[in-house]
Amino acid sequence: MTASQFSWRTASKIAWREARASTIKFTFVILAVAVGVGALTGVRGFSRAFHQMLVREARTLIAADLSVRSFQLATPDQEAMMDRLAKQGIDHTWITETISMAAVEGKTPTLVSVKAVDPSKYPYYGTVQLEPPAPLSTALTRDTVAVSEDLLLRLDLKIGDAIRLGGQPFRIAAVVQQEPDRMSGSLNVGPRVMVTRDGLERAGLMIPGSRAAERYLFRIPPAVNVEQVRANLKSAFPEALIADFRQAHPAIERGLEEATTFLSLVSLISLIVGAIGVGTAIRAHLDQRLDSIAIMKCLGARSSQIMRIYVIQTVVLALIGSGLGILVGLFVQLVFPFLIAKYFSIRPGLTLDWVPAAQGIGIGLLTSLLFTVPPLLGIRRIRPNLIFRREMTESKPSWRERIRNGRGTAIAFVVLVVALGIIAGSLTSAPPREAIRIGSYFVGGVVVSLLALSAVAWILLRVLRQLNQQMIAVPSFIRHGVANIYRPGNHAEAILVALGVGVMFTLTVYIVQRGLIADMSRTAPPGMPNVFLLDVKQSDAQPILQLLKAQPGIERGPDLIGTVAARIDNINGAPLRRENLKGFARRFTYTRPVGAVDSKPGYSDVVQGAWWEPTADTSNVCASDEAAKTLKLKPGDRIEWSIGARKLSTKVACVVKIDPIHLMGRLDFLFDRRMLEGLPVIYYGSVRMNPPDVARMQVQMYRKFPTVTVMNVADVLKIIQDVVDQISIQVRFISAFAILAGVIILASSVAGSRFRRVREVVILKTLGASRSRIAKTFSVEFLILGGVAGLMGSLLALAFSALVLKRLLKADVNFEPWIYVVAIAASALLANAAGWLASYRILGQKPLEALRDE
Amino acid sequence: MFPGPSSFPMIKVTALTKSIATSTHRVDILNGLDFEVPKGEFVAIMGPSGSGKSTLLGLLAGLDSPTSGSIQLDGEEIAGLAEDQMAAVRGRKIGFVFQSYNLIPTLTAEENVLLPYELAGGNGVGRERARQLLTTVGLLDRAEHYPVQLSGGEQQRVALARAFIVRPPILLADEPTGNLDSANGQIVLDLLIDMNRRENTTLVLVTHDRELASHADRIITLKDGHIVSDERRV
Repeated sequence: MTASQFSWRTASKIAWREARASTIKFTFVILAVAVGVGALTGVRGFSRAFHQMLVREARTLIAADLSVRSFQLATPDQEAMMDRLAKQGIDHTWITETISMAAVEGKTPTLVSVKAVDPSKYPYYGTVQLEPPAPLSTALTRDTVAVSEDLLLRLDLKIGDAIRLGGQPFRIAAVVQQEPDRMSGSLNVGPRVMVTRDGLERAGLMIPGSRAAERYLFRIPPAVNVEQVRANLKSAFPEALIADFRQAHPAIERGLEEATTFLSLVSLISLIVGAIGVGTAIRAHLDQRLDSIAIMKCLGARSSQIMRIYVIQTVVLALIGSGLGILVGLFVQLVFPFLIAKYFSIRPGLTLDWVPAAQGIGIGLLTSLLFTVPPLLGIRRIRPNLIFRREMTESKPSWRERIRNGRGTAIAFVVLVVALGIIAGSLTSAPPREAIRIGSYFVGGVVVSLLALSAVAWILLRVLRQLNQQMIAVPSFIRHGVANIYRPGNHAEAILVALGVGVMFTLTVYIVQRGLIADMSRTAPPGMPNVFLLDVKQSDAQPILQLLKAQPGIERGPDLIGTVAARIDNINGAPLRRENLKGFARRFTYTRPVGAVDSKPGYSDVVQGAWWEPTADTSNVCASDEAAKTLKLKPGDRIEWSIGARKLSTKVACVVKIDPIHLMGRLDFLFDRRMLEGLPVIYYGSVRMNPPDVARMQVQMYRKFPTVTVMNVADVLKIIQDVVDQISIQVRFISAFAILAGVIILASSVAGSRFRRVREVVILKTLGASRSRIAKTFSVEFLILGGVAGLMGSLLALAFSALVLKRLLKADVNFEPWIYVVAIAASALLANAAGWLASYRILGQKPLEALRDE
Repeated sequence: MFPGPSSFPMIKVTALTKSIATSTHRVDILNGLDFEVPKGEFVAIMGPSGSGKSTLLGLLAGLDSPTSGSIQLDGEEIAGLAEDQMAAVRGRKIGFVFQSYNLIPTLTAEENVLLPYELAGGNGVGRERARQLLTTVGLLDRAEHYPVQLSGGEQQRVALARAFIVRPPILLADEPTGNLDSANGQIVLDLLIDMNRRENTTLVLVTHDRELASHADRIITLKDGHIVSDERRV
């Protein structure tokens, strides 16, 4: 048997027995790890189950074997390609999704998402569930619609009633309970109205150039090579999003990946809080074992041998905690579907997936060990002469020693930071470079937060101590309670940091959410339009302008701009390649609306070049300053365009800066209207009006122009607010785990100081203190700890949320004191509950029992 | 070539000094000690409180490093060894008996006895020897007991057994009977002397107790960091 084998066995023995003597304290440590690992495995387990469901149900989710989504109607070439495929037995059906207005007499028209299908073919896979139950092909005719429940509620309708769509009456034949491809659809911003293709034609909603999402669903016979079909369609529809049953839907998958990355990192924060708890508990534990360690050193134990004991303890605690965490994760997986039920009605099955489980155990173990390294390194500094004779004066460590010790700690810190970065990076599904970036940002954020929290904790504890020493007038139980906090061995700083992280994070999420919504609904800047008009035909443009101008309550506008959908082919002869552009700039490779203007808009400034003369030839365009920057355009550059089948050649005359509160400000290029003559021009309008007058205008508008979509910003805001709320609930649900971990650490620390507390209680009782007095002292301690943690978390949340809102989201910051008051109070109460949970038995201690035990 | 067993210095201390520097002044605890202890000798170190005897014992055990001078144990220089190297030397060469027993509370009596052997990487016969030693100290029937279940005298007897488990050539004892009543003190002392003879160990014992010191082969008396007397008993 080798020395190391033997020592491992002995080390395990000692580790086990020591752990047994610290059951309560270590139970809390296990729980702290379990909470963090649970959040992580829950998020990742759910994500994987969701992903597997996306793959498994891929056909149902697109209602076809393959789907092509485009924002243009199919060109003759594209139709020809689909006809060729049909000859190979590949059937297809065409779906159009758009937003429009639905109306009934006496009610304000409401925004709906219209979906036109061919019920004899759609859906190829899955079923559209209707109430009363009926096949879609019988329920849906040229004159009927199937609508979602919320439309009935909003317009106070029932099945069999009529609604108007584009001014045409339709009978509501059924309620749509479920449609298979809802998740992969587009423009789902209002209640669903499902119509037939004929019905859509009859309603007259589609005008050439209007922005609707067109989907072509294909059913591919098993014998046909899917890849080949896909390649053919990709060449025919270069701008379209193509999905087939062999993979999860790319758009949903991307969203899922991003959400998973984000929530995984949030969970990692809980895990880090848990790991701080493990580190703190092991440090406290080592403090109590100084004698044993010194004795072992006297008996010839090397530091590395002694470290084994505590490494074993940490590993076992982390493993048990992680194992328990997997169960917590299952709970999280169970809850998650409810949090997103509104948007994803399909529930992935609850299964114990070994991949996230193994990942959770691995990361739980690694993170716990990382945070235990610094206290373990401290073992090297425990000198054996500590036990030999206490009066033997400890000589001050030499310079060399101090540097050597410091070096170890510094290396441990670097390893910790790098390892956490790697863990964070590995939790993203991004390519390596991006993962490194995210990992670095995450670690940077965590380190800054922890350092900031530690600094604030340090300061607050000092202040508290100072105050306490001067507060002679306050009742002594308060002074005793406060004194308990900064007593040695109480690890108040670690508790404050751990609990503070949780409070800070959850609060930041909440404040950002509120700030975002408040910012969106705020009426500033004055004159910002609050009603938008979509899909206005050229022939309607002037009458609509007249109608709007005649409305009461118009504060600004109305503004109506004509656009044409155009795509850049090349700039100065160089084709615009997607690969050469990054992120949002890639939009220039797609067909996008460009403006058609007669003259320079009044609210624009020419920053380069000059606006074209009315007598100039028609090939002039002006680029927005943003487009010019991204595409490196300057006056004189030539741009070739495709508009439908037509090719146009233009010259950049100027670069303009347009006030962004105008609709025109959203356009990248302004064309001379004369050049776009004969092309399908679609108008978009905006107006700022007194909110109470909007409904009346909507009714009038609908009466005269039923195909025009009127978007009331207030309604859209409600939808956005709904989405933001929903996302925020998920994030807060996961970030609450960090608070829970922090609270558990507090309980762990209180349990760890049990012996000291028992002694104290006994002495106090012996000296005549009543139970209630002792209870008050403890409560003061816990309440102040929690309150201070809440205060720290609030301070930093205030700073972080201001940073996020101001810098990242460019939103205004609102200071709402009540949020912080609630956070501090809740944190204090939570800490008090946790503290008592870990120590209530102490109160009943009989003095004699405890004294006799000594 | 080699010196005979009795004349070979098991401990050789040369010009040993130890001083502690505080921010304001410097305290010299040991001022240039020189002495040798031959193998198998029983030396008692005496002196009033603050005379430096505990510091000396600590330095001999390598628990602290001297300010200057040299300490050789069994021919091996230990001044300036690194912490872990020193631990290894302790594990091989030094047995310890403390005033306050210092057993590991989470290990049983037998496991405590076995610990130094395990730390040194012993090869399996240790358990038998541990039980033998427990028999010698009369505690075989308490082998499975934990320190808290043993009386002070019993704990110190376990500590004695532990000190001898690796057959260290040197045994350092610091007031081994200091916490015991006279009856138990006597038992422990008898055992210590008996085992020392049997194992032919070099024994260095620090004590206040003249009666205890009277059993030694030699008494070194310290005062203010100097050796004031070094008497061999015949």
